Amino acid sequence: MRLLAIQLLVVLTGCVGVLSAAPLFAQTKGDPEMGATIAARVCVACHAEDGTSPMPNTPRLARQHATYLVKQMKDYRAGRRTNEVMGNFIGGLTDEEIPHVAAYYAALQVIPGVVTDPSLLELGRRVYDDGNPGSGIPACSGCHGDEGEGTRRFPRLAGQDVGYTLEQMRRYAAGERTNDRGLMQTVADRMSEAETLAVAQYIASLIVLDTEEE
Amino acid sequence: MIIRLVCLGALVLAAGSASASPPAQPRAPGIESPGYVWNAPNEDQMIALAHRADPSNGEEVYAVCRGCHQADGSGRGDAIYPQLAGQHASVLIKQMIDVRAGRRDNPKMHPFVADWVVSSEEVADIAAYLSQLPIPPTNLKGEGTDLTRGQALYEKDCAICHGAQGEGDAAEFYPRVAHQHYSYLDHESKLIRDGGRRNANPEMVKAIKGYSDADIAAVSDYMSRLSTESPPE
Repeated sequence: MRLLAIQLLVVLTGCVGVLSAAPLFAQTKGDPEMGATIAARVCVACHAEDGTSPMPNTPRLARQHATYLVKQMKDYRAGRRTNEVMGNFIGGLTDEEIPHVAAYYAALQVIPGVVTDPSLLELGRRVYDDGNPGSGIPACSGCHGDEGEGTRRFPRLAGQDVGYTLEQMRRYAAGERTNDRGLMQTVADRMSEAETLAVAQYIASLIVLDTEEE
Repeated sequence: MIIRLVCLGALVLAAGSASASPPAQPRAPGIESPGYVWNAPNEDQMIALAHRADPSNGEEVYAVCRGCHQADGSGRGDAIYPQLAGQHASVLIKQMIDVRAGRRDNPKMHPFVADWVVSSEEVADIAAYLSQLPIPPTNLKGEGTDLTRGQALYEKDCAICHGAQGEGDAAEFYPRVAHQHYSYLDHESKLIRDGGRRNANPEMVKAIKGYSDADIAAVSDYMSRLSTESPPE
């Protein structure tokens, strides 16, 4: 009985920890194999089995951080992030299934991105590495890493789909996506159209072969 | 159908609450206000100062600062971003809290230090992390043409608070000025002299009220060359 009480206490403390840390460090322990089965049922029509997401303006998920994927799926469920298509599919996942799906996509092989306008890469690299002090744009690398590898707090960007990046930047700037403590709204709002286009190309060109996954 | 309606409702709600510009920095009373007390106690600062700081968490939270102040805390002299590595934790806490509260105007920085981005405890963690970083070996210095005047002014008016070697005073919230970027020292000193830095210490305003731009440039250049480890270069 006493043991049960202690176990309960541990569980409760854990819950409080998760709640107070949410949504930054949501539960992410998942099983990639279980995730594969669930993804085959719900996700692959748009995101594909290999996470390349051939649909236009759809995020590539291969090797994305599981913490980030879990947070985004939970935000979709809760309406903190909205998208018409995702809105139709997220209901097909239970809370218990979300970490497994995240673990599946996080464990996939890296797939190099597609650069559609190489002439923009040099400007993109400059903004990504140095920001723009004149307009108060921080270097993207500050949060997302020198190679776009991301962290458990910030998404991996390396190889991301150009159209998806641009659509998200538009949504951030317009205040339509705010599930990141408003950080990217500020950044997107300060970036010129030329800078945004260039950074999207540079991000697509980045390749990170392997990162540590928490 | 119900699901679709709920989705539609969520979309309308999201669209209704969407705002094209991020929240602006608030404005709190500062040196321009009657009865201004420098470094008056305030709740956020007390929470941060009382927090048992965790530098390793500070390193992780510092990510939102790194895009401007650099991974090693060296800042950028060319962009007037101050060097933060080796600064006193008390000073860093006070300045971050003042920007957050709107006592120090910095609309560019505010969205990255706002209370919905970092908690007061995390402010303390960041400060603890930065204060223990080694002072970077290089910084932006002035032209070096007026260092005698700079030294004379520093010793007459500045050393009494900021220390003979520019080491500052953590207990008094006086910043370390040694080896700071020349551009930042010059920019902030002018702001303080002219009343634009609204969280300034009135004692300092008084001390440099009569300074010309050339005086400020000379003393800033001198401070940028100070080092607590070795005599001025």
